[in-house]
Amino acid sequence: MRDLPTSLDLLALARELLLDELAPLLPPERQRDAHLVATAMAIAMREEEAGEAWQEDIGRLLHGLYPSAARRPETLLRAFAADLRNGAFETSPSLERAARAILWRLTIGKLREANPQFLIANGFSEVNDKRAVAVGSEREQ
Amino acid sequence: MLRCDAATGVPSSLGRLEEFAVLHAVHAAGVAVPEPLFACADPAVVGKPFFVMRRVAGSAAGRPITLDPALEAARPALAGRLGRELARLQRVRPPRADLTFLPPYGGPAAAIAELRACLDRYPNPRPVLEWALHWAETHLPEPLPPVLAHRDFRTGNYLVDGGRLTAILDWEFAGWGDPDEDIGWFCCKGWRFGRLDREAGGIADRAHFYRGYESESGRRLDPARIHFWEVYANIRWAVIAMQQSDRFLIGGARNLSTAITGRRATECELELLMLLDPVNAAAYA
Repeated sequence: MRDLPTSLDLLALARELLLDELAPLLPPERQRDAHLVATAMAIAMREEEAGEAWQEDIGRLLHGLYPSAARRPETLLRAFAADLRNGAFETSPSLERAARAILWRLTIGKLREANPQFLIANGFSEVNDKRAVAVGSEREQ
Repeated sequence: MLRCDAATGVPSSLGRLEEFAVLHAVHAAGVAVPEPLFACADPAVVGKPFFVMRRVAGSAAGRPITLDPALEAARPALAGRLGRELARLQRVRPPRADLTFLPPYGGPAAAIAELRACLDRYPNPRPVLEWALHWAETHLPEPLPPVLAHRDFRTGNYLVDGGRLTAILDWEFAGWGDPDEDIGWFCCKGWRFGRLDREAGGIADRAHFYRGYESESGRRLDPARIHFWEVYANIRWAVIAMQQSDRFLIGGARNLSTAITGRRATECELELLMLLDPVNAAAYA
């Protein structure tokens, strides 16, 4: 229903204009502000591109931990956080492995959107989905 | 240089008059800081309390300090000097009649409890922080006698001029604390400014920083204690990042810089996972 170009395309063009043409015109003390704006735009673009898939994956892993609980991911995440606080998974190696898989995947998923360069700088490749899924699945068993 | 309160601040920061008193105490202890000149509590003068300190040459910008090739040879000595300065500031110890506004220090357990209380104020769950806090609660080090802690002792908060340290800045978070707290904070990955491999503030190996500290303090550092305080540093930095975005979310401050800082909490969470689950760090990398 919406007209083209997509909002993602428009954001990408706006970001290019900002960084390539507008930022060089700004005085040095405002350069950081221009890059902050570009960062905010990049986060919005990456979130839009990523969609809900990785969060749904986390939801499925959480449901594996809480099979009889309600399906709302927010509710499951809250229960998960509360159990981590109490060390609830420490009594079972398989549960502990499953819990850690969720922690890793949640963190990597968020950073892919917020700061993928930070992942790379820490030795994490951008294309480790397959490995993450493999490790995560293994831990659910 | 004149310092006065920001329009919206982080909850745990000192007021400017209190910061002036801390600056006065550490200056008297021989720490490299801008000389505190006078303070004024009367809001009629500039609209809020303020203090004035002597201007010191140098730049605090983190990336030039860690990345400028011209500073390459000076960095190990800079790290050693920072270690010695930290040991010197820790000679300021309670009780002090001039610092009675600083709350008493309750040890590592109280420090962790304070972070947990901060986290409990957030409506959205943070599983990694809950997990790391639980680890910290179950791995508390033995308390040491408290010292003055800067609590933001890091690259970006000291001035360097020609490769030499000229002053340590930003004392607004200072308080009584554990002697290893500032060491964990200084080495925390969040303050390495593009040189993650240089674990002492992005400027040198830990050994240079540790040697400087140990030579001045006479106290041998324990890696297990530093590990605990580095975990603590990452949890604390995550909470501070969330508090920064609260300036927008709750305080209504229309400031992109502070609003976007909240996203950095996840960087701390990655580091917590790497510190506390190194086997899986290799699996996910």
